[in-house]
Amino acid sequence: MNTCEKVRKQLSMLLYGELSFDEEETVDAHLEGCAECRTALERERVLHAAFDQAEIEAPASVLWESRQNLQRQIAAEHTPIHRVSWWDRFLDTAWLKPVGGLALLTIGFMAARLAPSLVPGLGLGVTGMSLMDPGAQRVRSVEPGPNGGVQIVLDETRQRTVSGGLDDQNIRVLLLSAAKDPSDPGLRYETVGILNDRAQAAEVRDTLIYALEHDENAGVRLKAMDGLKPFVRQPEVRKALSGVLLSDGNPGMRTQAIDLLTQGVGEGTGNTTGNALDRDMIGTLQELMNHENNAYVRQRGERVLQLVNASRDTY
Amino acid sequence: MAHKAGFQTDEKALILAAQKGDQDAFGQLVRAYDQSVLRLAMNLLRSPEDAQDVYQEAFLRVYRNLNNFRFDCSFHTWLYRIVTNLCLDHMRKRKVRKEESSLVEGPDGPVDRMDTVHESRAESDPQRSMFAGELRVRIDKALSELSARERMVFELRHYQGLKLRNIGEILGTSEEAAKNCLFRATQKMRVALGDFV
Repeated sequence: MNTCEKVRKQLSMLLYGELSFDEEETVDAHLEGCAECRTALERERVLHAAFDQAEIEAPASVLWESRQNLQRQIAAEHTPIHRVSWWDRFLDTAWLKPVGGLALLTIGFMAARLAPSLVPGLGLGVTGMSLMDPGAQRVRSVEPGPNGGVQIVLDETRQRTVSGGLDDQNIRVLLLSAAKDPSDPGLRYETVGILNDRAQAAEVRDTLIYALEHDENAGVRLKAMDGLKPFVRQPEVRKALSGVLLSDGNPGMRTQAIDLLTQGVGEGTGNTTGNALDRDMIGTLQELMNHENNAYVRQRGERVLQLVNASRDTY
Repeated sequence: MAHKAGFQTDEKALILAAQKGDQDAFGQLVRAYDQSVLRLAMNLLRSPEDAQDVYQEAFLRVYRNLNNFRFDCSFHTWLYRIVTNLCLDHMRKRKVRKEESSLVEGPDGPVDRMDTVHESRAESDPQRSMFAGELRVRIDKALSELSARERMVFELRHYQGLKLRNIGEILGTSEEAAKNCLFRATQKMRVALGDFV
């Protein structure tokens, strides 16, 4: 076998990064001096790219059904020990984020919460029950459903099923209530994730701000911050983020907060600094410098103050 | 990187918690891996129903046997051993039943169940779409002609992005054997696609 043949046999492994150091050296050295083998390498690249065409992503509905079935089977062979079920956090809202705006709401007891009451495409508006006094019920869990829907499980004295759009006021009231349920962080996390899609509504935004400022669970606070990102220019959102920056105990939260509050600063050209900071924000950053111990947050704060020609110290 | 290291630490804590019966921890473990498990099964078996069966059986086995997991290998390797064995079983059974095709009878004649899955990838340009469709058919056919093990190694390396060393560990073979298997698979694919690409 001549060198070209040997090298061509190794091209695929080269692209997979599966050659040893010595093998790769030999192939590279040969390729430098052999135009035909370089062409063969390009063909191999095209072939690999073509393989990508055949890859299949499992549809969201298949994953969703699989998770449901697994939950059922496990429930059938084991009674959960903890009241906060793993299923509460099981469905990833980011992955199954509702895009269509239709919501499907299922209300039932624990045993029936995953019963096949979910009918994709069920109508707009709340059906199956009247929600005269939703506050009297307790939302046990909220999960994204298929077709951009949402499934809410309520504890109440009897089993009922409702479905409705995310913009339906009754549904909204339930969701806003669930987002503040003090006993169940998993529920709050899922609910906030779903509400994030409706953060343009003031009442939803208020709830997200409340979660950002008061929720004891960092995951919920972080989720709420995600939903508020598009509204970072609004004074009430900035105020809440400033509060996070100064007093949230979680460095990840403070990192995200400072990035959001100072985004655009320093991105200008020449002597400009992109978006200027208001006086309050400068004050916040100066105050932050007095006690911040996270290296990234501190560095970012210092850099921004430097960019806007502000002192590090408060007077 | 720090995130990955953090995840591994978290993962060990999750496994230990799940072994003590913490359902929430088990749920988090499932969620960390179930999308890639389903994708692997879907790509190998080309059938949503079979892929769901594998998903179900794999995580039930994990659930039932988690107490026997002793951290001799990574959780990922252990899980994938279960999944790949289940997939190989399915693929071998299917060979026996001669059910290689994913065709089912529809109202207007035979239709490919996987078409609905592929639809989301359709190109807006009809000509490109046709080319992409034909290419996919050729690749699907070439894949179906690989042996179960070649198919598995190719899938794990090309689509799942696992290193051959890890693949060898999962399949209970050496890195060298996995490499030979991948070599044969790509060689067959190259021949099958001919001058199409």
